[in-house]
Amino acid sequence: MFSFAIRRLLLLIPVFLVVSMIIFMIIHLVPGDPIDNIVQIGSSPEQIAQLSAKYGLDRPLLTQYAIWFRRLLAGDLGDAIILRQPVTSLIAQNLPHSLALGGLALIFSTMVGIGAGALAAIFRESALDRAVMTLILAGSTVPSFWLGLLMILIFAVQLGWFPVSGARSWQALVLPVMTVGLGGVALVARVTRVAMIDIARKDFVLMLHAKGLSRARIQLAHVLRHALVPVVTILSLRIGWILGGAVTIEFVFARPGLGSLLITSLNQRDYPVVQGCLLMLAIAVMLGTLLGDLVQAAMDPRVRDSVA
Amino acid sequence: MTSIMNGFLISGAALVSAAVMAIATPAMAQDATFVLAARDVGAPTYNIIKATRLNGATTLLFDRLVIQDVDQSFHGQLATSWDSTPDGMSWTFKLRRGVKFHNGENFDATTIVWWLPKFKGTENAFMTEAIERVDVIDSHTVKLVMKSPDPNMLFNLASVFMGVPAPKAYDELGDKFGVAGAVGSGPFKLESFTVGQQTILVRNDDYAWASDLSKNQGPAKIKRLTMREIAEDSTAFLELKTGGVDMLLNVPTDFLPRLKAEKDMQVVTLPGIEVFYMPMNTTVEPFTDIKVRAAAAHAINQKEIMANLFGGLGAVANNFLIDSLLESKVDPKFNIGYDPDKARKLLDEAGWSVGAGGIRAKAGKPLQVKLWTQNGTEFKRVTEVVQAQLRAVGITADITVFDASTINAQYRKKTEHQLAVRVYSWANADILDWFFAGTRLGYPNVSMWNDPKAEELNHKAMKLSRTWDERVANFKSYHEYILSQYAFAPIYQPVQNFAYSNKRLAVPEKIRGARVQSQSILDIEVRK
Repeated sequence: MFSFAIRRLLLLIPVFLVVSMIIFMIIHLVPGDPIDNIVQIGSSPEQIAQLSAKYGLDRPLLTQYAIWFRRLLAGDLGDAIILRQPVTSLIAQNLPHSLALGGLALIFSTMVGIGAGALAAIFRESALDRAVMTLILAGSTVPSFWLGLLMILIFAVQLGWFPVSGARSWQALVLPVMTVGLGGVALVARVTRVAMIDIARKDFVLMLHAKGLSRARIQLAHVLRHALVPVVTILSLRIGWILGGAVTIEFVFARPGLGSLLITSLNQRDYPVVQGCLLMLAIAVMLGTLLGDLVQAAMDPRVRDSVA
Repeated sequence: MTSIMNGFLISGAALVSAAVMAIATPAMAQDATFVLAARDVGAPTYNIIKATRLNGATTLLFDRLVIQDVDQSFHGQLATSWDSTPDGMSWTFKLRRGVKFHNGENFDATTIVWWLPKFKGTENAFMTEAIERVDVIDSHTVKLVMKSPDPNMLFNLASVFMGVPAPKAYDELGDKFGVAGAVGSGPFKLESFTVGQQTILVRNDDYAWASDLSKNQGPAKIKRLTMREIAEDSTAFLELKTGGVDMLLNVPTDFLPRLKAEKDMQVVTLPGIEVFYMPMNTTVEPFTDIKVRAAAAHAINQKEIMANLFGGLGAVANNFLIDSLLESKVDPKFNIGYDPDKARKLLDEAGWSVGAGGIRAKAGKPLQVKLWTQNGTEFKRVTEVVQAQLRAVGITADITVFDASTINAQYRKKTEHQLAVRVYSWANADILDWFFAGTRLGYPNVSMWNDPKAEELNHKAMKLSRTWDERVANFKSYHEYILSQYAFAPIYQPVQNFAYSNKRLAVPEKIRGARVQSQSILDIEVRK
């Protein structure tokens, strides 16, 4: 298992190199220029050119990439052009907020998704099954931006239970978590339902019935337990989503986080910050995938052997 | 399987810990909470010398030598009086006595000697580049000796970027000034600043040097003021509605009917400093022909746009400058207004005759042009109406929407665009230089306007004006010439709206200054 993990880790190195280059180039390929966002009305064309030179934007793109990558290897993501702080410190300020929101949303979607999926599987083909799956599907297909505003209108404006926006209390986290979490509920519920129905058809379940165990005990203690294997795999692969899944929600709820930082910086073409944020998201996805692979390998030795 | 589940539990616990870390800051008792304008969200620093973006809380921290009222008149803040020599080569400022910065430092002539040279090499250097040196006359009098006359000096000094920081604090904090701390002499002290989230200010109890634009000449009536940053206007509106905040410093026109329907909310409208306009690329067919440009300009029904899209608030734009500027008072014959008959006649004269479906054509080629705009509800709506108005005189305009940064890059290609709907925010006639100087073709000179007479008039206005009156006259001539060449079509002058809870706040009837800034906030009281 250890050698499998090492091999998977080594495979990430070339992936990281390619991803870093794509991330660097992609923002430079988008039309626009950070200088437009810092130049003052009244500045002369010469002053604008000086600014461009000051931030190294007048150099060839490959040279800029080489400088950025060299600094990256030393753990330095550079300084923000517009936000004027080290990118690492901007990310450090925003990361806990994104982890909190994304992580709790993942927990929310896992618990609600497993619960709903189990309910639908236990009462499969019934009205309850159809109602649960329809509700979940509807909830997860509503655009998150609109769902967020709806949540605010119901729970903050009408009922007054939670604040409208901000990040100044734990209550302010409830509506964003629910909004982001609902998006993941459908996937978890569907996987749980299908897995439980599949497991329920296995011979050992028939044997448990024959032994006289109660239906509830069989479903919850045995079928659900075995059905969690694919759910766990799916959740591992969604680790990257923890950081990247809440971009618009952070905006609607006026919350700090990597998503709002990325959007603000993207709008202003603050290249170093965009690159830093995208790199963080990419790393999260890579680590999530690695974790998913390890989980699968731990559960199924054939996976380990296939990479050997 | 058990170990995997344990791993997940540990991960979950870590995430919960992160959540706790993220929300660990306790909610603090607040005396008043304002929401900054959405355009101010993400302003990165209060480093007033080096910043290129500052938010609406800046004037509460830093005082300026002079400030400007909505009628463009200048009023002393840290300066009590000023004078310039007839040749414009020196300015003398008498400084207010008894002013102390938040850290106890004294404000006097040596502060100015330290402060003005600090702009050298920064993005804001152009504002002080006409100053040769600062001479100290006495402890509270300075003379600015000029390299060249700059009748725009007072406007520059009244800019929000010209607040005076405390010298010792500025030098000690270095690059951290404006983020880790910001020390000025304004009516509030900085308690904390989180970029993109909020700024918490506490009252400066020693404040006793307000300008004559404030009724209250002592410390502010609000003890603690939180300035929140909310990018989404709907969220900000709902915060005000639910009592989460007490004032929105900017309210889009869309929200006015809803706000006015709330009995506990008050909406106040101030004259704006923005102008919607439609530049025309004068180097690309068919807008190389002045008759086509004039026709497109006269096709725009400014009153209809103001009435139907902006609820009748604001003012139509008939030239390039906001109404409160003297340079906007051009000879009426140069003003551009709605005249569809004239537009049709001009197009006929230019050889564009009405063809099938009312679309004009010349030599079999339809009069079809590109109309660019940027994302945002107001931009899209104005652009769609402009499209319909052009269509009414026989011009087909195809709309393309870009984001704000992309569109500037597209303009720089110089030949891709034809018409665009744009807006600027500026209260000085030198905006004409910014958008029409031949040295800035593509962007910001989207009209690609470049002719010798315009350049001569620009040079005279920008460089050869010695006094304010001379500058006004020179800019008026430059403005009239650009109008006569139809390099753009004026559209609309929006107003600024702010809204507050009248259960929570008592706000003076008359707001002084171009925006809700320190001079007005000093007079605002919290009711409970």
